[in-house]
Amino acid sequence: MNKNYLFLAILMILLAAGLLLVPERQNYQQIKPEKLMWDITQTSRFVTVDQVAQMIIEGDPTLELIDIRPAKDFEAFSLTNAINIPLDSLMKPDYQDYLGIEDMNVVFYGNSDIKADQAWVISKRMGYNSIYVMQGGLNCWIRKIIQPVEPEESASQEEFDLYQFRKGACAFFTGTKVEAPDAGKTGIKVVKRKKGTAVAGGC
Amino acid sequence: MHVHELNPKKTVITMVIFVVVIIAGLLTLTNPRLKYALTPEQTVLLTVSDDGGITPEKLELMLTGSTEKVEIIDIRNHYEFARGHIPGARNISAVELLEKDNIEWLKDLQEKGFTVVIYGKNQMQANGPWMVFRQIGFSNVHVLLGGYQYYLAYKNHETQNYSPCKADFNYAEVAKVSVTSGEDNNQPAKKTTIVRRKKKGGAVAGGC
Repeated sequence: MNKNYLFLAILMILLAAGLLLVPERQNYQQIKPEKLMWDITQTSRFVTVDQVAQMIIEGDPTLELIDIRPAKDFEAFSLTNAINIPLDSLMKPDYQDYLGIEDMNVVFYGNSDIKADQAWVISKRMGYNSIYVMQGGLNCWIRKIIQPVEPEESASQEEFDLYQFRKGACAFFTGTKVEAPDAGKTGIKVVKRKKGTAVAGGC
Repeated sequence: MHVHELNPKKTVITMVIFVVVIIAGLLTLTNPRLKYALTPEQTVLLTVSDDGGITPEKLELMLTGSTEKVEIIDIRNHYEFARGHIPGARNISAVELLEKDNIEWLKDLQEKGFTVVIYGKNQMQANGPWMVFRQIGFSNVHVLLGGYQYYLAYKNHETQNYSPCKADFNYAEVAKVSVTSGEDNNQPAKKTTIVRRKKKGGAVAGGC
């Protein structure tokens, strides 16, 4: 009877040793391609520039903005309290720590939303949750928040409310005084569109 | 007194079952239906390289030329597909892309040396699915830059170069314009225009 127990114990130890020899699974924490594809088809990952602006203004402590443009562009301009993780450094261990913070909502942004979406896909594959993409990126941020366009007179009340919000947000981000509504047009200043000379590289 | 001590064979039987379960577990574990062929690091390199995108111009060339074997997949829903699509495209909506039959078909195309181009209504829609295909090893899958919107614009000769990832503004400058808006009238380089009204066929630009 002792022999049996001894044999059992040895077998357990051997099996445990065997498990150590099993090749390390690459997909250990990653989600399956099927799941990834399913998540991609959902549009709930997008947040609008208005939502982001509101969260910044309200000082939402759960908002974690991640700027995926190159460091040079980030230094020239970035959103309030954003963290710079250039797309090519996304998988570096130092930066990975920023992604898995509990209770934080990570929002990726770039010049547009395509590169930010790619960062999102890779992060999603790595199993991170509570991650989002800012729709339209900084180009959209400038068009809607910094240079809001007054809606047509026939527009709905909602659009006018949104416009008022954007005017206020613009004032918040650029430090101007809020102008009287009738002075709207003087506020719309546009820098000539950059051609070619604009920041090189990804977004 | 333990039951095992009365019947030693029971211990052996239990052990055998135990071992079989573990071995069966190990065997099934290593064989999922779809596996990643690219590591996350390689995927990052792919996204940085801007590889794998195809412009409408290039697609047209491939379609008219006789040497290249091309298949086009339209991932929009059936309704949008019915209203208009790129000639020769096959409609597989995004949620169906990884179904068994479609994977078999894609494997077949890959073996035969086909180039596969996928597109959605804009580039964003096809961006994720394209990345999934690349990550599970379909290196012959390309994404149509700008999606169907831009393809239509290209067909109607309404476009310039498609560069969705460029900065449309010098952000630092634009974001501070309002601060100085009272006194920068003397800067000749700046034109005061209203952006929205100036644009034509701008549906594609910017991706807003």
